[in-house]
Amino acid sequence: MELDLAQFLTSNFQQFWEFTGFHNVTYEHLIMICVGLFFIYLAIKKDFEPMLLVPIGFGILVGNIPFQMGNEIGIYEENSVLNILYNGVRAGWYPPLIFLGIGAMTDFSSLLANPKLMLVGAAAQFGIFGAYMVALWLGFMPDQAAAIAIIGGADGPTAIFLSSKLAPNLMGAIAVSAYSYMALVPVIQPPIMRLFTTKKERLIRMKPARAVSQNEKILFPIFGLLLTCFFVPSGLPLLGMLFFGNLLRESGVTTRLAKTASNALTDIVTMLLGLTVGASTQASEFLTKETILIFALGFMAFVIASASGVLFVKFFNLFLSKDKKINPLIGNAGVSAVPMSARISNNMGLKYDPSNYLLMHAMGPNVAGVIGSAVAAGVLLGFLG
Amino acid sequence: MLLCFTVSATSFAQGRRGLRINEVMVQNDSNYIDDYGLRHGWIELYNSTYNHMEISTVFLTNDKANPRKYPVPRGDVKTDIPARQHVVFFADNEPNKGTFHISFSLTPGVDNWIGLYDTDGTTLLDEVIVPASLGANQTYALKQDGISSEDGKFDPQYWEVRDGSDEKYITPSSNNIIIDTNENIEKFREHDSSGIVMTIVAMLIVFAALILLSLCFYLFGYLNARSAQRKKAIAHLGEDADAESAAKMGHDSGEEIAAIAMALYEHLNTHDIEETILTINKVKRTYSPWSSKIYTLRETPVRR
Repeated sequence: MELDLAQFLTSNFQQFWEFTGFHNVTYEHLIMICVGLFFIYLAIKKDFEPMLLVPIGFGILVGNIPFQMGNEIGIYEENSVLNILYNGVRAGWYPPLIFLGIGAMTDFSSLLANPKLMLVGAAAQFGIFGAYMVALWLGFMPDQAAAIAIIGGADGPTAIFLSSKLAPNLMGAIAVSAYSYMALVPVIQPPIMRLFTTKKERLIRMKPARAVSQNEKILFPIFGLLLTCFFVPSGLPLLGMLFFGNLLRESGVTTRLAKTASNALTDIVTMLLGLTVGASTQASEFLTKETILIFALGFMAFVIASASGVLFVKFFNLFLSKDKKINPLIGNAGVSAVPMSARISNNMGLKYDPSNYLLMHAMGPNVAGVIGSAVAAGVLLGFLG
Repeated sequence: MLLCFTVSATSFAQGRRGLRINEVMVQNDSNYIDDYGLRHGWIELYNSTYNHMEISTVFLTNDKANPRKYPVPRGDVKTDIPARQHVVFFADNEPNKGTFHISFSLTPGVDNWIGLYDTDGTTLLDEVIVPASLGANQTYALKQDGISSEDGKFDPQYWEVRDGSDEKYITPSSNNIIIDTNENIEKFREHDSSGIVMTIVAMLIVFAALILLSLCFYLFGYLNARSAQRKKAIAHLGEDADAESAAKMGHDSGEEIAAIAMALYEHLNTHDIEETILTINKVKRTYSPWSSKIYTLRETPVRR
């Protein structure tokens, strides 16, 4: 009887042991846990996009706790809590909700005051297509190459949206790569900006922007939606929500809705998006050769996007009169990492001339970059979807 | 709520129009077998919409005078067809065998008219006339799944006879054209392996969209500035008119006007009397433990 009891206890302990993370852990899990901890460290200690990196970093920890499959725990197990929350990423409805919030919190008046800055936002999309060509050369299929290349748009929601449609199997790596590089904008962009500009160009002072009337601000989301979505209907989920959010803000009669969209709703969706994207990076799915290539291509896309924005401004300046010249330091802001890249333009400008504030000028291409990357995503989806 | 209901009800009604007769076999000797292991003629329906469609209570018939001949029964989950998917009905004239066994059969060697009616029994959703020449184990199928005349009237140009050969394969309960690749991707793979065409075209589209948007807002800015100028001019015009009328009245300087005003004031001794009464009321708030801060505080634990 005693023997039976001992045997029963032993087998129970053994069963419990097999159930624990200590038994199921592999070195891949540990690597991913270290990556998650590194993200959290960057967010808390270095203040790199904490709103994104804290949920993603913690999500990586959540997604890489080793466990036995079949108990509805993991993000890839149907009907688990994480799986239900992940549906917003997989089916692509978190990104448009984030865009609603971005629209509701973005003031487009700097762009409206100087509409030519929209072209800088368009030029920065070269990053996407440069990376697309390289990805094709490396042997990716066109749909996969497009999903990876969108990292160059520096727009996390757009990257998730497009990859969920074109290459769902690569979505985890693409999302983490896009958000990582967005967080690393202060590290990646300044050397590129210095490389492609002369000291004289960095000192260019731009004319203060004109005042924009309320009517113009109201008309912008309406015409923006009609013009861009007639061109690229496949960008409708993102652009529709972006401009809708902006109309809520600018109409002046829906303040409550705009507040909810830009605060509570965005915060909720950002948390869920970050956590589930992080959790989707399960070691077994994430640590592959393709992931490394995606990170390399994402970096390259970011570099090309930043450089093409700066170079386009220099090219544009050839056609502008002396008093209307644009400071090429705002070219990097064509990538849609709002408002981080605009802040970098401003900081760089102040470094070379302490009284040259470029922030409001840089916000123009920055928000144009949001529209540009959504249009580019729509084009890719239209061609390859 | 009313709006949501109206919109969703309308879209549901529109959705039924997307139901199509997709493929028909009249004489089945060696083809698809039913769940009883028997062979009959069959009719394949296709949900051509991009949303699932519940088809219970639509009617299948082979008699124009009796459009309600076979109502698709309610309460079977299989009558909810997923988007762009199919169901097969066996024409065995044995409706008691189950939902997908209909109350009429098809006759070889004659033209077979088959109609599909909406729930009201009068709206024709789709129809087909299967030619008498259709042989055994052959089907009459839409060349492309779900693509036929928009009004549901039969048009033979959308249909073809399929004999089960490699080119004309028979596909009960699956697509008439088997798609094993993404045509778009293959096209780009073949003609644009370097991605240059995509880059040029896509960048042109991105630039075109944003140039158009910027031109639009240059125009709005310009119109806005013009309107502001006009308003300013009108305001100036008003000021000028005031000045002109003042000039006509005389040349009173500001000092003169001020002196006159002062004199009038002294003369009338107009002191404006304050009518407002200031009072100080004691504000009383009745105590309630529900709102008491004391009760919401936790006591500091005492170490004994």
